[in-house]
Amino acid sequence: METLRFSWIIAGALFVMALALRFYKINHPDQVVFDEVHFGKFAAYYILREYYFDVHPPFAKLLFGLVGWFVGFDGKFDFANIGDSYSIHQVPFVGMRAFPAFLGSATVPIVFWIMKESGYPTAIAAFSAALVLFDNAHVAQTRLILLDAALVFFMALSLLAYIKFRKLRYHEFSPAWWGWLFATGTFLACTLGCKMVGLFTFLTVGIAVLVDLWQLLDVRKGLSIEQFYRHFAARALGLIVWPAIVYLSFFWAHFKVLKFSGTGDSFMSPAFQETLAGNELLLNSQEIRYYDTITLKHKDTKVFLHSHEELYPLRYEDGRISSQGQQVTGYPHNDTNNFWQIIPTKALPATGRGRIVRHKDTIQLLHAKTQSYLLTHDVASPLMPTNQEFTTWYPDEENSRYADTLFTVDVLEANEGDPWKSKSGHFRLVHVPTKVCLWTHAKALPDWAYKQQEINGNKNPAERTATWFVEDIIGDETGEDLRGRTVKVEEKKVKSRNFFKKFWELQSLMLAHNAGLTASHPYATGPINWPFLISGISFWTENDKKQQVYFIGNVASWWACSLSLAVILGVMTTDAIARRRAINPIPDDIRNRLLNNAGFFVIAWACHYFPFFLMSRQLFIHHYLPAHIASALVAGSVMNFIVTEAIDFPVSHASATAPARRYPRTHTDIGSKAIAFLLGYAGLLFGLFLYIAPLTYGTPGLEGHAVNRRRLLNTWTLHFQAKEHESIVAEDAHVSDLRPLAILT
Amino acid sequence: MASEFRARGAKQASPPATLPPPQYQSRYPPRDHHLDADERKALAQPGSLKQSQHAFGGLRLASSEWKLLAGIVVLALCVRLYHLGWPASVVFDEVHFGKFAGKYIHGRYYVDVHPPLAKLLITFMAVLGGFNGEFDFKEIGLPYPSDVPYVLMRSLPALMGVGVVPLAYLTLRGLDCRPATALLGSLFITFENGLITQSRLILLDSPLIFFTALTVFCWVGFSNENHQEPFTEDWWLWLALTGLSLGAVASCKWVGLFTIATIGVATMKQLWDLLGDLKVPPRVWMKHFLARALCLIVLPITVYMAVFEIHFMVLQNSGDGDGFMSAQFQQSLKGKGMHDTWADISLGSEITLRHVNTQGGYLHSHEHNYPTGSNQQQITLYPHKDGNNNWRILAGHSEGQPDHDFATEPIKWVSNLMSIRFEHISTKRRLHSHDVRPPVSDVDFQNEVSAYGFPGFVGDANDNWIVEIEYGDSHDKHSSGRLRTLGTVFRLRHALQGCYLFSHKVKLPEWGFEQQEVTCNKNAVKANSLWYIETNEHPQLGENDEKVNYRRPSFLSRFLELNHVMWTTNAGLTDRHAFDSRPESWLTLKRGINFWVRDHRHVYLIGNPVIWWLSTAAVVTYLLARGLLVLRAKRQYKDLNNSFIVKYDQICGFLTIGWFIHYFPFFIMSRQLFLHHYFPALYFAILLTAAIFDLATSSFKPKIRLQVAGVLIVAAVWTWWHFSPLTYAGEWTRGKCDAAKWRKTWDFSW
Repeated sequence: METLRFSWIIAGALFVMALALRFYKINHPDQVVFDEVHFGKFAAYYILREYYFDVHPPFAKLLFGLVGWFVGFDGKFDFANIGDSYSIHQVPFVGMRAFPAFLGSATVPIVFWIMKESGYPTAIAAFSAALVLFDNAHVAQTRLILLDAALVFFMALSLLAYIKFRKLRYHEFSPAWWGWLFATGTFLACTLGCKMVGLFTFLTVGIAVLVDLWQLLDVRKGLSIEQFYRHFAARALGLIVWPAIVYLSFFWAHFKVLKFSGTGDSFMSPAFQETLAGNELLLNSQEIRYYDTITLKHKDTKVFLHSHEELYPLRYEDGRISSQGQQVTGYPHNDTNNFWQIIPTKALPATGRGRIVRHKDTIQLLHAKTQSYLLTHDVASPLMPTNQEFTTWYPDEENSRYADTLFTVDVLEANEGDPWKSKSGHFRLVHVPTKVCLWTHAKALPDWAYKQQEINGNKNPAERTATWFVEDIIGDETGEDLRGRTVKVEEKKVKSRNFFKKFWELQSLMLAHNAGLTASHPYATGPINWPFLISGISFWTENDKKQQVYFIGNVASWWACSLSLAVILGVMTTDAIARRRAINPIPDDIRNRLLNNAGFFVIAWACHYFPFFLMSRQLFIHHYLPAHIASALVAGSVMNFIVTEAIDFPVSHASATAPARRYPRTHTDIGSKAIAFLLGYAGLLFGLFLYIAPLTYGTPGLEGHAVNRRRLLNTWTLHFQAKEHESIVAEDAHVSDLRPLAILT
Repeated sequence: MASEFRARGAKQASPPATLPPPQYQSRYPPRDHHLDADERKALAQPGSLKQSQHAFGGLRLASSEWKLLAGIVVLALCVRLYHLGWPASVVFDEVHFGKFAGKYIHGRYYVDVHPPLAKLLITFMAVLGGFNGEFDFKEIGLPYPSDVPYVLMRSLPALMGVGVVPLAYLTLRGLDCRPATALLGSLFITFENGLITQSRLILLDSPLIFFTALTVFCWVGFSNENHQEPFTEDWWLWLALTGLSLGAVASCKWVGLFTIATIGVATMKQLWDLLGDLKVPPRVWMKHFLARALCLIVLPITVYMAVFEIHFMVLQNSGDGDGFMSAQFQQSLKGKGMHDTWADISLGSEITLRHVNTQGGYLHSHEHNYPTGSNQQQITLYPHKDGNNNWRILAGHSEGQPDHDFATEPIKWVSNLMSIRFEHISTKRRLHSHDVRPPVSDVDFQNEVSAYGFPGFVGDANDNWIVEIEYGDSHDKHSSGRLRTLGTVFRLRHALQGCYLFSHKVKLPEWGFEQQEVTCNKNAVKANSLWYIETNEHPQLGENDEKVNYRRPSFLSRFLELNHVMWTTNAGLTDRHAFDSRPESWLTLKRGINFWVRDHRHVYLIGNPVIWWLSTAAVVTYLLARGLLVLRAKRQYKDLNNSFIVKYDQICGFLTIGWFIHYFPFFIMSRQLFLHHYFPALYFAILLTAAIFDLATSSFKPKIRLQVAGVLIVAAVWTWWHFSPLTYAGEWTRGKCDAAKWRKTWDFSW
């Protein structure tokens, strides 16, 4: 029964069952469900090759794009809302859903194989696999166009590859050893390439590697320091350098595919945008010349630099005193008071390129409507005593304040002599005498300035939020047509940019936006709820047939997994205390297996679970799926510990150089009673799975009382529940609470 | 492992078999590889065996040392009390803590994020000085009038600051360091400018540090007793003192919880070692465990709760902290009590409706309209009693509302699932909701709630709300079946939209007078959609009908509620302050805090850089050395068999863990943090500096050791003197001030 051939048969059978459960009615619902809104859309963008921005790394989405292309999706459907019909728009959605369903199915035999490789009997390994096979949450998540199927698949593969590598520890530096080391690195990179959660898988393997290295460092292992360094370097190469290369290659492909301008342009810097064909900046960016009239816009708050005839009040509410000069404010709407003319401070040639404004040129800005010059001086601004006030100055005979009207244009990321361009030329305007820069923040001035935004001078001349750009060139002194001023529009070439710069920009934006996803969502839950399956997520509803897809796990699976975690922690604590009193309740060989193997699974679970407690972004129960896989592995180990008195030993591949075994060779025999129990439990899993299945597959529709019966915990927020009191009509689903996760706001 | 060494050491040191076995186990194994100068000297003297006698708390102080200690205390008194009355105006957070003393004197309820012990002690001093509580400590720089005994109030933190100095000396001695080391450590504490500044003002940190130091001292004493012989009277005394002191730390500031954690870790280590000692039978181990649980868990909690009991006893009257507390809590304050109100709710009742989960108050409406959405009359939550909180319950008829005369109509109770309307008494408009987005929470599952109607308009179906009773009061059996004042907690579901009347901690802008927003929420979190009726009147209810009132809350429920409020308020302190700082900047003393500026005089909280940087260096040194030891052990070097190394590893390890626990948790706090939050950790770091000095100079002759200590002390005193104008708001020249800016980030001279 424990032959390799039999294991393969079981693995095959598990795979076939998983396929059956995940492909069952995969064409239902033929509508956009939950986050397919996002990930379907991204696949379409890859097919259209239009640039988009998202917080997740591109690997899984690239695969979706590839699959979509393969099954003949033309990218013309926009996945705008949950509930939009696929069949009307002829989207080959079944093909696209088949891909995650396939990966999700493959995860089941991988779980089985992890357990087999760890030296557990086939029945135990099949038990772990069944916890995943019959889990409604995994089924629901993997038969939709979502990233988690790929994430979980590669996460399980990484664990498997690492265990294979570890078992070859007495064959160090052999080809197989190197092979599994690099396989681990590759799968880790793929996991990370799906979602940033892959970092937790890195953490898991990282901890295991550190423990391993720590043991190798022990002098009793007999390694010289040089040999130890070789071990160290090999792991650094296979698990850090190589994954980094693989991960970067995903981004390389991402940039190669997305070469046209798209919805993601505006997230990126101007230099990045100019690498995208058809980008607005690339088309409409013009060189700015002296005496042009322009509008200046603040990059972060999107207000125009504005001035009007009203003056600052002499005395503010807090008793401070102003210059009583003309107000300069930030104003979000188009207005002729936003027009400023660029006045040179040097002699200009009559025509030609000498009239172009360049980086580091010193200019004056003349307010077109009131013919006064922009000025700042050492007077505190209305709202911030630490910042300087901006006002305007009407020139007089003596030119008394000329020096205070001089500003330097500091174009960001520009070199000496580069021209200042509209749209693309992000710049800071630095005051020459006082070195403050033109700055604004989202604070409104009081009524005397019509609640417009305050503009002031920030004393940090390198302030990052003091970035402005020229929104438009309104006209030059003659009113000549602006077209053809620089180079012909048609001739504009897409610029190239260093890959690493592009990668770095995108990666930091992804992390920043990911941390910024704090908006509330009706189905967001805290991590503490997840292991107990307190509540799920409503993915999709259909009012007429009373159908719904509700993401929730199989209670028999999740609670068993959580319980086994509690059991192993209890057992290990008890053992530690008993050992302190020189009592050894668990034989050494079994204890070693528990520590080294089940301990690894517990670490995998902890690494994929606890970091979520530190995150302040919105979290959902499907973030627990990788941790659930790890806890299913723990459940297998614990089950093995309970039903047998022994372990399979050894599991590592023996070699001539290996030290003598510490314990005799042993075999487990789990006995027919245990197998009957496991089969019975699998039956329970399957039964509960079927019971909740209408919520998982979205079909058949359920009447109110049937829904009520399936509400196993009263915290599950199902739709179409019947009320206990007949006087009230059964509640209809409010489609408004079905929302995809906020990717960007 | 420790027991292993002890056993081996004992073998070497054991006397010939004819002598009786030694009475006690020495705390540290005898030094088998090493005898330092002191020991050689001690061994050479006759009567050196005197050391082996049981010493109280393990403290073996010669009589000359007591004189030395007295000298140090006198010095510390001079340093801490010098010109205590200057600046003669309010400095920094005296704004708060001075004010609280006034509130205690008037007994006016207030809410603060810190537990009350230190504030009560300050109040005690204020009362001694005859403070009448009239001065309000309104802003920094406000001069003290002559009748405010601010010097006396400041003397409490100052004296506690002085107390830390001898505690540091005795703790180091208790840790088996030499007198010269203890002298160095205590003088470092004395001349630490930051500790001086903080202890000269009416602030809570000085009591906190004092009790932290006291706890550490008691714990060291207890550990020594424990090594000599457990369960003696002295053993119990030291253990109980540790527990009392722990309770006092936690009652000053919640940072004291870190001290509890430190002692907790050390206790667990002790118990773990005892567990591994097979000579200790399980019953004795259990006794060890229970004794510690009693003294280190039960006792501190008792102290903490007792302090709150005093707090509640003193603050009997209503004050500006009322608004933080629940209605039930407010009931226990004088001046906030409510008259009994009728229990039965029926159609026609005139009621006030209160939100359960927030302290936003009563459902309220006023003659102002929303500037957005429907532009109808606003509905808000308002925390104070007001005529605009009054509503009349009407029956919900979709075809119109006939004018009832409730004085004659038969009474009809409001039962579960009944459809009702609420008429605002003063404006005659009805509580209304519709498919319009609310002004602030502008999301698609929220509906605006307004007051709508005009004379002659009978209302429409959007005025109808369905009562869904959530739970009743167990003392009032009717309350779960129909609405009863105070007893029934219910939700109100809008009949047409299916949404629930909802409120949350979101304020309306100025046009809504910053009152709390009320909406109708389709995905309402249950807790925020619960309401109850606080007052009730009905024309047909007379004096003889049943009346109810809030039950006076027990001490325990008040205690728990106040702690909960403190916790949420504390977590909400996330605004930036001009002088706040993050923990990573504390190690290098990156920047101080501006406490007070006037007439070119300045109080600026900054540490003594020499002491500060030395203490950080000590921590880094120990961590590096310990890391090296671990690595070497892995390669089979036998360092940890050397009892000399083990002794210092235990001392330094304990102090470093204390430092770590008082420092690291700040990294995961997102509230605003200040340099002075590092002070308890700094205390541990300074003791660690001394311990490392003890280690480094252990092979020196006593005279040379004293000279090295002298050099360090002179350096510390010189820097103290150098920065003293910032500490004491003394006179300084511009040039000296600029020259004292050793780091560009120190911003004390503008």
